[in-house]
Amino acid sequence: MAGTSIIFRREVYQYFTTPVSYFIAAGFLLLTGLYFNGDVAYSITRKAINPALIPDFMATLMILFGPLLTMRMLAEEEREGTLELLLTAPASDAAIVIGKYLAAWFYYTLLLALTFSYQLIVVQISQPDLSHTFCAYIGIWLYGGATLAIGILFSSLTENQVVAAFMSLATLVFLYLGDIAGQIVANLDLARVIRQLSILGHYSTSFSYGLVRAEDVAYFAGIIVIMLFIAIRVVESHRWR
Amino acid sequence: MRKVWISRLTAQKMIEVQNLTKQYGNFTAVNGITFEAQAGEIVGLLGPNGAGKTTTMRMLTGFMPPTSGTAKIAGFDIFDDSMEVRKRVGYLPERVPIYPDMTVRGYVDFWARLRGVKNSKSQVTQVLERVHLLDRQKTLVRNLSKGMRQRLGLAQALVHDPEVIILDEPTIGIDPQQVIEVRDSVRELGKKHTILFSTHILSEAEQVCDRVVIINKGQIIAEGTPANLRQKLQRGNSLYVQIVGANLAQATDMLSGVAGFESLTAQGEGYILRTRNSNDVRGQIAERVVQSGYRLVELRPVAMTLEDIFLDLVGRE
Ligand SMILES: Nc1ncnc2c1ncn2[C@@H]1O[C@H](COP(=O)(O)OP(=O)(O)OP(=O)(O)O)[C@@H](O)[C@H]1O
Ligand SMILES: [Mg+2]
Repeated sequence: MAGTSIIFRREVYQYFTTPVSYFIAAGFLLLTGLYFNGDVAYSITRKAINPALIPDFMATLMILFGPLLTMRMLAEEEREGTLELLLTAPASDAAIVIGKYLAAWFYYTLLLALTFSYQLIVVQISQPDLSHTFCAYIGIWLYGGATLAIGILFSSLTENQVVAAFMSLATLVFLYLGDIAGQIVANLDLARVIRQLSILGHYSTSFSYGLVRAEDVAYFAGIIVIMLFIAIRVVESHRWR
Repeated sequence: MRKVWISRLTAQKMIEVQNLTKQYGNFTAVNGITFEAQAGEIVGLLGPNGAGKTTTMRMLTGFMPPTSGTAKIAGFDIFDDSMEVRKRVGYLPERVPIYPDMTVRGYVDFWARLRGVKNSKSQVTQVLERVHLLDRQKTLVRNLSKGMRQRLGLAQALVHDPEVIILDEPTIGIDPQQVIEVRDSVRELGKKHTILFSTHILSEAEQVCDRVVIINKGQIIAEGTPANLRQKLQRGNSLYVQIVGANLAQATDMLSGVAGFESLTAQGEGYILRTRNSNDVRGQIAERVVQSGYRLVELRPVAMTLEDIFLDLVGRE
């Protein structure tokens, strides 16, 4: 699609040139590092290392970092007035949203790749099931992709980054807690439906154990497609305001 | 003679607006306007705040669809061939859109690429040179002054060498020196491009534009070259009269009998007398003043400025 790659490149450039994204990356590495450190110390003496240790932790972390990585994307364009110019450039509305989304996912993938350094340490001190680890990484990659899509959607809805981050955070917390809600509902069918909708359940019951299930992949892909579709419509709606 | 002939040959309608209407809910912001611009023409869209200038431009740039009516840019319909139109238009919105964290060069380069410029490097250098920002190319956009941002916005609108350039109040909020620079560059650009230029400053439209379209409350109320407009719309005469020792009431008393008298207003040490028709009434004035026992020290015609015409027109609506 014309323009997607140009938008993509500008956004990636933006991630690498703004201090904020370095703070986000630093925070991300600090938290995962601390968590890893604590668990490794514990694992050496008490139990075997969990091959999905870092991805499991990231399932929680991305509830916060998904919104942080995407809050700026469309909100800032609207606030600075560049959206008006983007919408009069020969690029479709879809190209704009998708280009931005792919940039966020790309940056997230890089952050994820940085956590491979922890796996290197694990390999040095024990014999983890690497296929299990790999599966968990695939899962968290998709999971993160879904949180980013939700973040993009809320970024398109407001010109205030903080509001965008807050709304997507609230939505993600809701989707995340759905997993717990499923556990405390007495009606089994209802519990199952709630769990089916919750984002964590599609990671913690499969990828986390080294399983790749088609329905979970479909769930994340579905979330991404639906969120982006709505975001494109929201961007388009600027033309009708 | 030869020049005229050539320009006739190449004359082509670059902007064709037909009955264009835009409604926001029940409110009609632009109400059935029709005008056109030939290739190489600088057309000014002149109107007070809220006249519908920005709305018109937003429709022409493909930002928003019209409620009804059509418009063509370089022969392409703004709705059906939006992408073709967007490739051919350079647009500087009212509020200069910036990416604060990009460098000047990166910013212009981004817009060049997005609009499909092939050798963006040399194009960007050229356009930065043109707006005198080449020595600032590594500066972050956030650190530019307002006038520089305005020029950056202009660079962005020019970088893909568009056939039609649409500038929404490009001289607003910058200092007089830079206003002159921007006006000069617009006039310079007019030699190669078709320009639609909005402003609410009449003298600016008069200086810069080949043709002026005056718009108010979403409707065109007058159109023509600045000289043309003045001629067409100037009703009656204005005279400056200075009478020693007469206050406004006394002077009105004296002069209200002049043929075609319309109004008398104080200005400086004297008065402006307006008449409804263009008969020469200087003799009558002199006669009346002297008969009343006052002394006439100055009597001269004043050309009605476009400013007056404009205020008059807008007020009359
Ligand atoms: N998105 C919108 N929704 C509702 N009304 C709008 C919208 N945009 C503009 N208007 C109204 O349409 C009218 C024309 O607005 P427009 O911005 O086109 O005027 P303008 O000629 O550009 O004025 P200015 O000189 O102040 O920039 C105004 O009354 C304005 O309030
Ligand atoms: Mg305006």
